[in-house]
Amino acid sequence: MFKFIQNYYSNKNAHPASLAFFRITFGGLMFFSTLRFWSKGWIETLYIKPSYHFKYFGFEWVDDFGSLTYLLFIMCLITSLFVMLGYKYRVSMISFFFIFTYIELIDKTTYLNHYYLTSCLAFILCFLPAGNYFSLDSYFSGQKADRIPIWMVDVLKLFICIVYFYAGIAKINSDWLLDAQPLSLWLKSKYDLPLIGQNLMQLKATHYLASWFGMLYDVLIPFFLLYTRTKYIAFVFVIVFHVLTRVFFPSIGMFPYIMISSAVIFFDSSIHLKLLSFIKTTLVKINSFFKFKIKPFRTKVKTKTIQPNRLIFISLGCFLIIQLLFPLRYLLYPGELFWNEQGYRFSWRVMLVEKRGDITFKVKDSVSETFFYVKNEDFLTPFQEKQMSFQPDFILEFARHLGAFYKAKGYEHIQIFANSFVALNGRPSQRFIDPRFNLLKARESFYNKNWILPLNDEIKGL
Amino acid sequence: MIKKFLKYNPFNTSTLIKLLTLSLMKKIKLRPLFLMALFFVQCSVDDAGSIVELSQNLNSEKTQDVLNTGSGDSVVSNQTVTASSFDHQAMLINWADNIIIPSISIFENALYELKSKALDHVDSPTAVTLSNLRDAWLNGYLKWQYVEMFDIGIAEEIYYKNRINLYPANSNKIESNIASLDYNLDASSNFTAQGFNGLDYLLFGIAEDDTEILNKYSAPELNYSTYLIDLIDEMIELTNQVSDSWDDEFRDSFINSTENTATSSINKVINDFIFYFEKGFRANKIGIPAGIFSDRPLPDRVEAYYAKVYSKLLATEATKAIKNFFNGSGREDENLTGLGISDYLDYIEIDNESKLSRKINDQLETIELKLAELNPDFSVQVVQDNLPMLYAYDVIQANVVLLKVDMLQKLNINVDYADADGD
Repeated sequence: MFKFIQNYYSNKNAHPASLAFFRITFGGLMFFSTLRFWSKGWIETLYIKPSYHFKYFGFEWVDDFGSLTYLLFIMCLITSLFVMLGYKYRVSMISFFFIFTYIELIDKTTYLNHYYLTSCLAFILCFLPAGNYFSLDSYFSGQKADRIPIWMVDVLKLFICIVYFYAGIAKINSDWLLDAQPLSLWLKSKYDLPLIGQNLMQLKATHYLASWFGMLYDVLIPFFLLYTRTKYIAFVFVIVFHVLTRVFFPSIGMFPYIMISSAVIFFDSSIHLKLLSFIKTTLVKINSFFKFKIKPFRTKVKTKTIQPNRLIFISLGCFLIIQLLFPLRYLLYPGELFWNEQGYRFSWRVMLVEKRGDITFKVKDSVSETFFYVKNEDFLTPFQEKQMSFQPDFILEFARHLGAFYKAKGYEHIQIFANSFVALNGRPSQRFIDPRFNLLKARESFYNKNWILPLNDEIKGL
Repeated sequence: MIKKFLKYNPFNTSTLIKLLTLSLMKKIKLRPLFLMALFFVQCSVDDAGSIVELSQNLNSEKTQDVLNTGSGDSVVSNQTVTASSFDHQAMLINWADNIIIPSISIFENALYELKSKALDHVDSPTAVTLSNLRDAWLNGYLKWQYVEMFDIGIAEEIYYKNRINLYPANSNKIESNIASLDYNLDASSNFTAQGFNGLDYLLFGIAEDDTEILNKYSAPELNYSTYLIDLIDEMIELTNQVSDSWDDEFRDSFINSTENTATSSINKVINDFIFYFEKGFRANKIGIPAGIFSDRPLPDRVEAYYAKVYSKLLATEATKAIKNFFNGSGREDENLTGLGISDYLDYIEIDNESKLSRKINDQLETIELKLAELNPDFSVQVVQDNLPMLYAYDVIQANVVLLKVDMLQKLNINVDYADADGD
């Protein structure tokens, strides 16, 4: 076993083109998606305008910088561009990782699996020598890599496999497979799609087929992508699947593109070389067309073999192990995961449940017994209010924020109660938070939140 | 296979399609695909068959009704709810032609009536003209309850609902406007000095009793008459704008916007409906006076505060308007029911035994019962015994949950003011 790992560790049979192509698509997509985010005005509406931000446990110190938040995004744009071009790669990559992750930590209202995916990929890329080939770095230094340790490519593949696989097994539950929920709700509302909207999308069979196909796709695609004989047809499935999700769920944003471009890593390096040479010829054509007179790559470049690094190997190994274990943490909590959402995030549960809620907070004076209700919109944006309405950690955080707010205004002996109703996957709404529990008595932690009322139903499955 | 792939430019979609076909033909045996297709067709046929029967039973009556409305030019589609689809456009046509446009024009006519009564009163103020004017005011106010929820198009742009029915009225502002006769009713600072609540103050609040009120109108130099007519003219002017905006062109674009997007007619109207139920109805009429959002009840925040006795009547009428719209009942004749939200829900829940539309209708009835127990004047109720008012609030809040949580989930309609990616 040890010997096997030893051999694997020192196997330098991978070509740097694989990482170079991955770097280019990753940097390019990040550049584009940051621009898209900006153009939609979301920097303003999601980060600057809200007077209050929901914080991740342990990251309460992260905050926006008012209108200077734009600077963060400018830096994000610059670093992602540099990553794509392979300019000062290591510094750019590490900065991108920190800036992007910082932005995500400002407010957990905006949490999306693909932002977390981006942070994870960026984290891995910080350790990998992706800037030593087909990059400005090697253009200026006249040095390029020729072989790299194979595990430096495999780590990306394995990570993407984990993402798919966990997304797949999360769908093995009675709601998804036996009731075709929430796809049934979602697809029926796609009546406005041309040709298929009023017929195919309305059929139960379609909902079941889509549910089962989605589950099987997610669970199996990693294996088909890894297996040499099936990877090409698997890639076709990747494209079809993600394009379909984009058509059906436009609000899914950049996720399909990130997954499609990431899946290219599973191909043989000869394909990556081919893709790079395509980029190269395009660049040469542009160069000669506009007569830029940029000197092409030096013909005589020094090559260098990237040596494996024990520290990086162990770090990335630990990262993968954590990735394998972290999504399973929900097993430590009692109750229904989809309802309580304890251990729900950071676990590749993508487009998995349909959940909506409505919540009002009652501020009560425990001595005089008088009370009033808070208008959430005085504190939160509609988007924050919507996200809070069905997520217990948001509810607790906001209740404590209200407590601090009213205490500062001179109210004493106050208690805060939640009047909250949530509907999950088309079930009738039911009470969500114990209305007699004073939320000021609780504190955010990793302990079980016993003030969440149980779901009046059972969802079987993993 | 690999060589083939390399030969092609991978960025070309037609290449990918070629590749897909090639690989399908060569690599995969077609039998499982064929079986899957067969299974699929089988299921669809089964499904479709049973749904056809069901929906035909369900909707034969309804289709008949819609067709009989006799509104000649509005071709109400006779395929309302078919096998496995819902006719969204038929619902929009029903909303526009049988509910929204008639509601606006009925209201418009009530305002003309109000204007003529006001002119009578201004000419020679007597107890009779004042009483007639008040009746016309109340009549207009009741008709308004059917209009407020449609905050779309021009209505939204000109802050129609805020200019017709923002309360409490600011009596100081009104008095100073009257004294100076220098005011711009289009200014947002004057929104609380006009509309029905401005009139409410002018007709009931400017003096202790009717004799003194009449005295004030009998003295032209006091300008009460001028302001009265100005307010009514402004309301007519605004209503004309809204009414004119519903021309053929706007109506056509309204009924053709059947998609499920943030800006489509269905989503906007349903969002407005819920927003109205939550704010205009729940909070403004009941919640705020009952002190839900403050330390203590606020009796001066009731609708039509100076007239005293109409707050309950107006809230009850609003409940009826809500119920009618939810069920697609026509404005001119409630029995002429077309497709409404309740039918849309029933279509989505075709397999469910307990229907959400039933629950919402039951809850609306509960609301009517709770309102019936209250004092005609909510400002008296909240001072004497606020508890029944709080109960009324609770049953309304329960319906907010049904509309906002259950219904929007079933219809998969997003709350239109929250925009971001989701997964």
